[in-house]
Order: sequence, then C-alpha cells, then structure tokens
Amino acid sequence: MVAAEVIPGPRIGEAWGLTLHPLQHSGPKCVQRTGMLEPRSQQLDGHVASGCLPGEQILAWAPGVRKGLEPELPGTLICTNLRVTFQPCGWQRSQETPLSSEYDFALVNIGRLEAVSGLSRVQLLRPGSPLKFIPEEILIHGRDFRLLRVAFEAGGLEPQAFQVTMAIVQARAQNSQVQQYAGIPLSKAGQNTGSRKPPVPLLETSEDWEAERKKQGARGWRVSTINERFDIATSLPRYFWVPKRTLDSEVRRAFGHFHQGRGPRLSWHHPGGSDLLRCGGFYTASDPNKEDIRAVESMLQAGHSDVVLVDTVDELPSLADVQLAHLRLRALCLPDSPAAEEKWLSALEGTRWLDYVRSCLRKASDISVLVTSRVRSVVLQERGDRDFNGLLSSLVQLLSVPEARTLLGFQSLVQREWVAAGHPFLTRLGVTGASEEAPVFLLFLDCVWQLLQQFPAEFEFSEFFLLALHDSARVPDTLTFLRDTPWERGKQGGQFNSYTQIYNPGYCQPPAGNSVNSQLSVWDWDLRYNSEQILQFHNPGYDPEHCPDSWLPRQQPSFMVPGPPSSVWLFSRGALTPLNQLCPWRDNPSLLAVSSRWLPRAAISSESLADQEWGLPSHWGACPLPPGLLLPGYLGPQIRLWRRCYLRGRPEVQKGLSAPTISGLQDELSHLQELLRKWTPRISPEDHSKKRDPNTILSQSR
Amino acid sequence: MLGKGVVGGGGGTKAPKPSFVSYVRPEEIHTNEKEVTEKEVTLHLLPGEQLLCEASTVLKYVQEDSCQRGIYGKLVCTDFKIAFLGDDDSALDNDETQFKNKVIGENDITLHCVDQIYGVFDEKKKTLFGQLKKYPEKLIIHCKDLRVFHFCLRYTKEEEVKRIVSGIIHHTQAPKLLKRLFLFSYAAAAQNHAATDPRNHTVMFDTLKDWCWELERTKGSVKYKAVSVNEGYKVCERLPAYFVVPTPLPEEDLSRFQGHGIPLWCWSCHNGCALLKMSALPKKEQDDGLSQMQKSFLDGIYKTIHRPPYEIVKTEDLSSNFLSLQDIQTAYSKFKQLFLIDNSTEFWDTDIKWFSLLESSSWLDIIRRCLKKAIEITECLEAQNVNVLLLEENASDLCCLVSSLVQVMMDPHCRTRIGFQSLVQKEWIMGGHSFLDRCNHLRQSDKEEVPVFLLFLDCVWQLVHQHPPAFDFTETYLTVLSDSLYIPIFSTFFFNSPHQKDNVGRESQDTQSKPLNLLTVWDWSVQFEPKAQMLLKNPLYVEKPKLDKGQRKGMRFKGPQGRGGRFSSWFSLFPASWTRTALSSGTAWPEHQRQLSLPLTQSKSSPKRGFFREETDHLIKNLLGKRISKLINSSDELHDNLREFYDSWHSKPTDYHGLLLPHIEGPEIKVWAQRYLRWIPEAQILGGGRAATVSKLLEMMEEVERLQEKIDARPHGQGALLAEAPLLLRGSARLSALFPFALLQRHPSKPVLPTSGWKALGDEEDLAKREDEFVDLGDV
Repeated sequence: MVAAEVIPGPRIGEAWGLTLHPLQHSGPKCVQRTGMLEPRSQQLDGHVASGCLPGEQILAWAPGVRKGLEPELPGTLICTNLRVTFQPCGWQRSQETPLSSEYDFALVNIGRLEAVSGLSRVQLLRPGSPLKFIPEEILIHGRDFRLLRVAFEAGGLEPQAFQVTMAIVQARAQNSQVQQYAGIPLSKAGQNTGSRKPPVPLLETSEDWEAERKKQGARGWRVSTINERFDIATSLPRYFWVPKRTLDSEVRRAFGHFHQGRGPRLSWHHPGGSDLLRCGGFYTASDPNKEDIRAVESMLQAGHSDVVLVDTVDELPSLADVQLAHLRLRALCLPDSPAAEEKWLSALEGTRWLDYVRSCLRKASDISVLVTSRVRSVVLQERGDRDFNGLLSSLVQLLSVPEARTLLGFQSLVQREWVAAGHPFLTRLGVTGASEEAPVFLLFLDCVWQLLQQFPAEFEFSEFFLLALHDSARVPDTLTFLRDTPWERGKQGGQFNSYTQIYNPGYCQPPAGNSVNSQLSVWDWDLRYNSEQILQFHNPGYDPEHCPDSWLPRQQPSFMVPGPPSSVWLFSRGALTPLNQLCPWRDNPSLLAVSSRWLPRAAISSESLADQEWGLPSHWGACPLPPGLLLPGYLGPQIRLWRRCYLRGRPEVQKGLSAPTISGLQDELSHLQELLRKWTPRISPEDHSKKRDPNTILSQSR
Repeated sequence: MLGKGVVGGGGGTKAPKPSFVSYVRPEEIHTNEKEVTEKEVTLHLLPGEQLLCEASTVLKYVQEDSCQRGIYGKLVCTDFKIAFLGDDDSALDNDETQFKNKVIGENDITLHCVDQIYGVFDEKKKTLFGQLKKYPEKLIIHCKDLRVFHFCLRYTKEEEVKRIVSGIIHHTQAPKLLKRLFLFSYAAAAQNHAATDPRNHTVMFDTLKDWCWELERTKGSVKYKAVSVNEGYKVCERLPAYFVVPTPLPEEDLSRFQGHGIPLWCWSCHNGCALLKMSALPKKEQDDGLSQMQKSFLDGIYKTIHRPPYEIVKTEDLSSNFLSLQDIQTAYSKFKQLFLIDNSTEFWDTDIKWFSLLESSSWLDIIRRCLKKAIEITECLEAQNVNVLLLEENASDLCCLVSSLVQVMMDPHCRTRIGFQSLVQKEWIMGGHSFLDRCNHLRQSDKEEVPVFLLFLDCVWQLVHQHPPAFDFTETYLTVLSDSLYIPIFSTFFFNSPHQKDNVGRESQDTQSKPLNLLTVWDWSVQFEPKAQMLLKNPLYVEKPKLDKGQRKGMRFKGPQGRGGRFSSWFSLFPASWTRTALSSGTAWPEHQRQLSLPLTQSKSSPKRGFFREETDHLIKNLLGKRISKLINSSDELHDNLREFYDSWHSKPTDYHGLLLPHIEGPEIKVWAQRYLRWIPEAQILGGGRAATVSKLLEMMEEVERLQEKIDARPHGQGALLAEAPLLLRGSARLSALFPFALLQRHPSKPVLPTSGWKALGDEEDLAKREDEFVDLGDV
C-alpha cells in the first residue's frame, strides 16, 4: 500500500493560513477539475481567510463532493484542530456570521465516522484504528443527528482523501478536552465599542435579576446577594430570589441543610399569585435546630398557607434512562438502522424516548394545573436540583403564560432555568466524556417541540429556532453550554489568570475589551446565522391575538381561590397526599428516601389532575381554560417523533416534509400590502401583519 | 340545568374506582323525569321515516365514567336511526356547531352505522344478539364511525326496556331484504326533494357520453372505444351498461364469458400507456375442453392487446402475491378496537403500548403495501412505458383500490373534488364494488364485510396529509365521505352493482308508477349547509391554470420578484437544506439557492416527466444510496428500478399538478387522527393542532383575497366564498385539534373555578379587537 507512507501527523502549532501542509500544493489540479476558475493560490487563501478563527489550525484537507442532498455540491473537506468542515466551492464564510455552522462539525459532535470504498467496504473508524483502505467516501454522523456525506475526487488524489480521513480520526482522539473557539473576530459596530448589550439578559448582575423580578410582579420577593462570591454553592447563580421577609442569615442557615447547598429559591411567580420554587433534596446528615427548621419552612411556604412539595423525579426517567433512550434513538435514526419498515413503530417505542417525553409533559401539565388552580407555593424538589427541576419549571412556565412563549421570553427562560441555575451542560452533553452523560436539555427541547406541534399558533418561535438551539448545544463557540456551573462560566468569562479573583468584589465587571467572548452567548444568533435564517426563527403561524399584553394584564385581581389554611401536600404519582410537616428531620426520615425510580403510572389516570382541581373533565367541555394555560396532550397518538431533527440523516424521509404554507402566505400578504401602500398613499399605517425585521426580532423588548 | 343528572364529580383527591353504580337517589329521578317530560325534545323524522319504539328516562353517559355524568332523555328507534333525545342542545345553539350534519344529529346513529351492541349485566359486558332472556341495565353501542354510546336503562320502565332493546337488536342485526332498505321509503316519500345541485358536475359514468368524455380527457380515444353492448345488462350483470375496451376487440368476444377475461380500460396515461383491469375467468378444472377454450380465448385477447399500437402489457395479478380480503378484515377489526373505548381506564391501559398495539394490528402496514403497489404500477406506466393489466377474481375489490390510487397519484384531475368524485363513481360504483356486502348493510354475512373502500380513503388520506397543497379537498371531506357510507338515504353506497340499482329501481317503479329519484352522496348540500361545506374545500389548493384563464391569473399573482405561480411558488421557496443540515444560508450560494427555489412553473411539461431515463446514469453513480435507502429490502433488479424511481422523484421539488408519490417509510404512514380519534375526549388538544394552523391560514387567505381584490379593482368571483370560511373558525378562540368533530361532543359542566369575570374580560377584548380588524379591512 502506497498510502501507508504518507500518513501525516497533524501539524499542531502551525498557524492557520500561514503554513500549509506540503501536500496541499497538489491541490489546484483537483480544484480545476471541480470547475473552479480562480487561480489556485487565491482559491486556497480564500478558503483559509474566510474560515479563519484565531488559534484554529488546518490539519488536512481534500476536495470532495457533498452527497445525499440535491444538489450535490463540490467543495473541500477540511479538518482542523477544532472542527471538520465542508466548504462548498466559491462559498465564503461571511465575516458577519463567522461561526455559521451549516457544514461544520465540531470534533466533539462527531458521533460516528465511516469510510466507504466501493459498494461493500465500509469501515467504522474508531480513535486509534488504522484506516484499511483508501476511502472513496466518508460519512460523518453527528451526535446532533446530522449527517455529512462527502465523496472524494478520484484520479491521483487518493492520498489526500486518506490523509484527511486519518486527520479526522486523530484529531478526534486528541480532542477529548473541550476546546473553545478561542476568539471570534467581531466586526459588528456595537461589539467594537466593547459595551454591547447582550440580546437576552444573561442574569449575571443583580440588576438583571431585579428587572426580571419586577417583570414577573413577584412583590413578595427580593434578590439575595448572599452567593455573590459563590461561597454558598458554586453551582448556584450569583444572585437569586428569596422571600422578602427572609434575612440573608436565615437564607445561609437554611441552605446549609440542602443537598449541595441548593436551598429553596423562587423560580417563577405566577401572575395569579402562586409561586413556583425549586430546591435540592434535604441534606440527610444535618441535624438542624428549631430555628433552622423554621427558616426552611418559611422559605418553602413563601408566605402561602398552601404548600405542595413536588417529588420531581417521581414518574420521570433517571438520568441513565434518558441517556440510554437517546443512544437507542440515535441508533434507530441512523440511515442503516436495522429496524424494518413494518417494525419501525415498535422499534421507536422500544427506545422509550417518546415515553420519557410524554412523562415529562404529563408531569409538567399536572404541575401547571397545581400552580394555576389555587394560590399556593409549589416546590419542585430534586436531589441535585440541576436537571429535571429545570426541565419541569421551564415547561410549566411555557404552559402557563404566553410571555414564555415569545422568542425573547423563551430565551430568557432557558438562560434563567438552565444556564444560570447551573445545569451541568458539559457533563450532561457528554463533552467531557464523563460517565454522567444524559441529554436532559435535549429531552426538554423535544418536549417544547411537542408543544409547538400541538399548539402551532401559541408560540412565537418556530421549529427552526429549536433546531438551531439543539445544534448549538455541541458547538464550542460560546460559554453558554460549555460550562457546568455559573462559577466556572464566570471564571472563564471574566479573567483567566486568577482564582482568587472570585473573592474580589469588583469581579463582576469584567475588564472591557480584554476578552470579547465573555459577553457572547448562544443567544448571539447573528454570529452563526444570517438574517434570513434568523427570520425563520419566527413562527409565521403565531397568532397576534395571543399576544401577551392583550390578555394577561399584570395588575389583576387574584382570580384563584386560596387553599385551605396551612395545608401541606406531597404531589407524587399524579395525586396529592397530605403531609404532616414540610421538613423531614423531626420524626419522619422515610421521606428522605422518596423513591426516585421511574415507574409507569398505574392506570388510574382516568381522571386527570385538572378534574380533581376543578372538578371537570380534562378536556374542559364548554368552559374556557384559564387564559393562557395550555394543557398539552400526552397520549400515545399525540406524542410524535421530531423528524426534522432526528431523521436528518435519512434524506429519503426528509424530502418533501410539508412546507410552511403560512410563511408563504405572510410573504404574499406583506407583498400585497406593500403594493397597496405604493398605490394608495392614504392607506392607514396600522396593518396587522407584523413587519418582520430581523434586527428587531431577537432584541424585541416591550 | 334541567333534565341533567350530574352525578358524583370531582373534588377530593382521588376519583372513585370507575363502576357502573350510579349515585342518583330515586327522588332525584322522579323530579328529573317530570322536567324531562316538560322539556320534551321533538323527534325530527325524515320523510318516510317511521317511529318503531321508544323508551323514556334513559340516562346517556358522558364518556367519562369515573364522573358518572349523564343526561336524561328518551331513546327512540325508527326504521332509519337510533336517536337519543335529551336536553343536550343548549350548547348546540351557538355558532361553533355550524358543522352540523343536517341528516344525522349528534345523538343519532343510523341503523347501518351500528357495529356491535353490548349489554351490561351486573357489571359484566356481554355481546347482545338474537332473543334475550334477560335485559341489561346498560346498553353500549359501538358505531362504525367509531362513536361509542352508553345508555343506562336502570331507571326505565321494564316493558320499555324490553321493547327498546329487542327493537334495536332486531332492526340493526337481523338480516334484511334489499327492498326493505330505508333508501326506498325515503325516495318514495321525498320525491320533490331531490333536486340535483346544478353546480355538481360529478361525472356519473352511467351514459355512453360520460365514458367518451373521459376517453377524450385522457386522450385514450385513439386506442380504446366505449361500447354499449351491455345496455340493459344483456351481457353481464356485474358490468356497467357502458364500458371501454381496446378498439380492435371484436364485440362477440365481449359476451363470451359473461364479461370475464375482457380487458377493461380504466385510465390512460399522458404517454399513451393505459391501466386496464380484467376479471379472471372462472376456473373449471374438471372440464378440460372448457379450460382449453378459455385458454385460446385468452391467448386471442392477449394477442390483440400486445400487438402495436399497444405497448407491452404487464399483468399484475392482485389475487396472488398481494393482500387478501381476509388480511384487510382482520387488520381493521384489530385496529378499530384501539379506538372503540368503553371507558377511560381502558384507554389508559392501552396507551402505554400504543405504538406496538398499532403495529400489531398491521393496518398501517396494509396501507403501506397498497401505496407501494400503486407506486409500482405508476412506475410501469410512467417510466417503463408499458400497459398494466390488473387481474382479480371479480375485478371489483383490490382492482378498484389500486387503480383509483394510481389515478389519484398520476392524474391531477383526480385530486380535485369533482375529479375525485368522478373517480369513485367510475372505479367503485360502476366498477361494481359490492358496497352492500362489503359494508354488510343487509347484515347477511359478516364474512363478506371488508372495509376496502375505507382502506382506499385511508390511503388517499396519507397522500392528502403528506401533500396537502395538491388536493382540492381536505381530510374533513374524506372523513365525512367515510361517514356517508352508512347513511341510507344516498343510493351511492347501497348497491352491489349498477345493475342491481337499476333493477331494483325498475321493480319498485312498477308498483308505484313513479320513477324513484335516488339521492347521490355527491350532493353535499343534503348533509351540510354551504358554510359547513367550506370546510371540505382546501383553501390552499390552486387549480392548474388553464392557458387562457391562467394568463390572467398568473399576471395577477405575479410579484416583482417574478414568482410564477400563486401559492405553489412558496413551496419551492423553502430551502430543502433546512431539512438536512440545520439551517441553510439563503444568500451564501446563489446557484444552490436558485436551484432550490426554481419556481414550479405552470408549463405543460411537468419537470417530473421522463426524469427516469435522464437520471439513471446519475443514480447508478449514486449506488451508495442503496445502502442508505431501505425502501425495498428485496434485491430484485425490478425493485431496483422501483427504488430509483421512488428516490429520484422524492429528491426533486414536488409539482403539485404532476405526478404525486407518497412517502412509504416507516415513520411516514400515520394514523388518520381526525377520523379515528375524534370521539375520544382525552385525545383532544384545546387550542391546538392542525385546526389552529388552518384557522390562521384561512384568516390570512381572506386578507390576501381582499387585498388582491383591491389591487385588481375589479369584481372577483372566487374571493367571496373563501372569505366566508374563516368566520366558521373564528367563532371560538380555542378550537379543538380535532375540529370540526370534537366540538359536537361537549359537556355543559362548569368549573368550580370562578372564571366568569375573566371570561368576560377576554371576550370583550377579543371582540373589540376583531371589530377593529374588520373596520380596518373595510376602510382600506
């Protein structure tokens, strides 16, 4: 084999664009063959320049043709120390969107690598395994369900194909550590000045928290600064909300009795008066005194007489279940999955993924009924308070108020309940290779997608926004999804050199201009997507009649009945059971060991929680639901597979998915209105088709 | 509220175990009874309909049996329907129920719609049939349209129970004579009623002219001729009076084997290839001479149709290597059990295993196989340029199914409502599908009952669901069509053959000396008000522009970007790369983009045509695709062609006025939720589902229409109709996902929650807002 001699080592340390691998000089031939007319050097430089990120090094490249989708695109497959990317001929990575990720596969995102030669030779490339033949085609299966299929050019260029394939294998092996794209060339005007306002409040300052508190109308609450130095818990945000009447000393005292110091905090204040709280499990070993217990109880009660403790993990899958289901789903959605067509449905059922989606929705639906039906305090309690609490709390908010269903509202929701609340993204998405991988966040996105399917007119964002968010989870460009705790995020974002800086009160203002990245978040969509794509984030079917302002006034009379005086309930298995006391330490240690196993609910749910709370069938008959509340369907036939996401690797399934007719109509409409406006100058300006300006969509603030 | 017994109810933490025990005390019943008699609901009888028996103080349960809610009323049985008369229509007055069937009310069950009747004796459920010794305390009726009714007879007088139960059992389950069908008494009594809708242009195929017209339309008249040899059913009673055969076929051949062994023309493709069907010759093994004769006869026939100008004929024997009627029957009876739910507990039990239960019924797999067969035949006609001859014992079951599916896929005319109705008329009614036996209307043999037509509608639904803009009609249309199978005032689905219909008509004509005027189901005004009929029409469908008219239309809708079609243009605007890779760049690759957004032109030559040959080369290069595509797991050379055909079609943008192929992969065949789930309260999503999108769409359509009207500044005929539709949907803010059906089943219960203040607030605002909108539009 000739090829064995030319395996190049990855040239780490070479500056991108300055030194090219010697073999690349043989490139132009093939370039001409693919129909490019530009001179060779320009062509390569063009690629390099447009793809350049500081610190990124090109390891190998080969010309090829992207297959599997019409039309086939000639271009170049490039492997760098950060990603594998396919650059179509003549395509320039725009300066405006330096991270455009259409054909980028971050190394961590590569789930499976296959080399193909002829019809029969297929080799699965694992880290360290030698390539046994010269590949004619390479298939990169992303862990985000994308598939990149590139066929290499024939005719003297086989060494290059071999080289790039091996480079990918090696780069993947070496890339067990997360590498963040070190810097992003920013050319936008606002970013140069250094003081740019993030599109979504990042909740890193107390002002953000205060503003959010006011927006929610949570008058009985205040922002606590007790964790400003992360000395209560590194996994907690720097600021959080506690009852107004509770002193910081009491907070400190109470939080000590919770797992990892994650005591009860306000998650969200329902406009009707109820409060949704989240906290970690009671810390078993502690032996609190009476005052401590009183502090804990008053924080859980939050001024309400009616308290419902929700055992979050009850009826939900365990983290391992979620991970296993996700792996199975991925295996099923591979183009060559072994499931036969007529067995597809039971294979899908066998993954249990949809089952888990359904149990999340059911539980969230139940909790939103609890929150809406009476004025009470509902406490989500999960041992770690970092996974399913976030999932449930976000879903409940999506179901309960229209604000959360706007683009801005949803992004702040994710920022608050997931990013700031310390969901361990890095671990859960398996970027670190740790054993506790479980894509809880992706499960959440699937749940949201189900809601979008079921209520197409209620959400301002579209499926494509969810897809973009789904895919961003594994792109190492911003800090949002790349750290496990707010503390680590702050450390990275602020200054890299000093650990002791944490204890410096001035820490929260990172020095301007030094590291631009710290201010960038996943919500800076314009780094990755162009304005047309961002337009697609908008759901054209969103009904302006459901606009939040119009029918959920903030100042409203309390419309919900207060519960019976000082009642304490445990919500578990879809039913409320009375509890004697809130805290377990006095005489009932068994509560600490609440089962966390996921079990299917026994078939008792003929009457849903909505029936019990309001005494009416779950479908509500002629009576309107409380405005804004959505009750999702979670029956077998109603939970669907997110095909646009999971079946992306199977082009034959993807093609011809029904086109969004509403957006077409909207275009037609705005065009006609435009015409009318031109023709009749005296037209009234207030037509109710929204002018969709990409710049305002994401930074809309009312 | 009057006459309503709301029993049990929510409140506490846990519902009582569902049981049939009622908590109504006798005193309550008496008071209720009085009120019921006071507020008698009148029974609406159709012309010719007769009341047979009745029972009062029947409690009809709302399906939630844990709540034990019910409504008191009268249960009646006429010679047309079983009806429950209760004070249930307080809710029906408001405008949301505009989608009301004028013939069949919410609580009406036509006798032919009854599937199974169960009685509950001491909490045990038993099937009821024949003579009863003991009468049940509860009656459960399963309907063929998948409704389930529960009637509690506990408070009814004993003799009334006896009368009503035995009456219902007798009239729904005892075998009947054809001439005793309600159809005839109705037709006799409602003579003047039957004025055919002038707008209804469905071709009935009962005259020679109709067949000639169809031949002209498909340009099949060169090689095929319409014959009238069977006028008066002299040759054969199975065949229609007129049909089409290959031109050189001698007339004497037609009558030789009573119409068996003759290739009958179904349809001609644009390239001249034809779809033919033939009923197999009866097999007589003992008679050697006869079979010899048959053989030579067939040889002669084959020689005729193999000779030029005819293309090569490919014979497709549907009796072997394809579905059997038995398969279909078994699958459907398993499948429908998933939706016939007696109580919620049962529903939740099965819900966990929904997908595997669904799969084990194999109904979806049968749909897939039908669609696949139709694709195979389409490929032969379109790509291989051969004639296809469908062969079946009587050519009246799977032949009808496959040939009409092929036509729906290949002929855009069949995707208009008129075209579709003509197709059903041609292939099913005139094709001699024995509706009477297959629907078991006469209750003569359960074995013969096979839902072939429903299977066809389900296959069409898959197409409608996958390619909504290609169809003039909606899924609601298909659903009401499937319901109409059981309404015995329409003659369409109540005969085994056109001969039977004409014959019976003639018989009764003798006795009554007046010609019977039987209604056809295609006259939708009999069942629905014009407003409700709007829901049968797909607002997004765009007719293929004709040359003269299209010029005008095309001009009008043309935007400055030079977009060609009106609505079709957007479908192509959507970048396909969204689907594969996350987000495509709209601007980055002009070339790429241009190809994707190629406007789907109205040019006569469909882009799909002839692509097969052009693409072969490319596809061979693309061999790896085979590993990826798992459409057909057999390795036949033949199947490779099919797969290439299929893959290649799906890799192109769709022309909604050209060839249309369904997706048949595992995840793509779905459950027709509107038809099968509509009566299950748990399955409703308020304010969600397709209905939400459709109402948004209609609203926008309305606006587009209005604006266009203004821009045109000339009278616009079509706009008016469309503009009405949104009003139907606008009535309520939150429609159920299963609209329009789910609304018919509502429960007048009030929540404990005092939402009244809220409601008023919301409504007022909404109203104000809507008014604004209207003013806006009016002023502009």
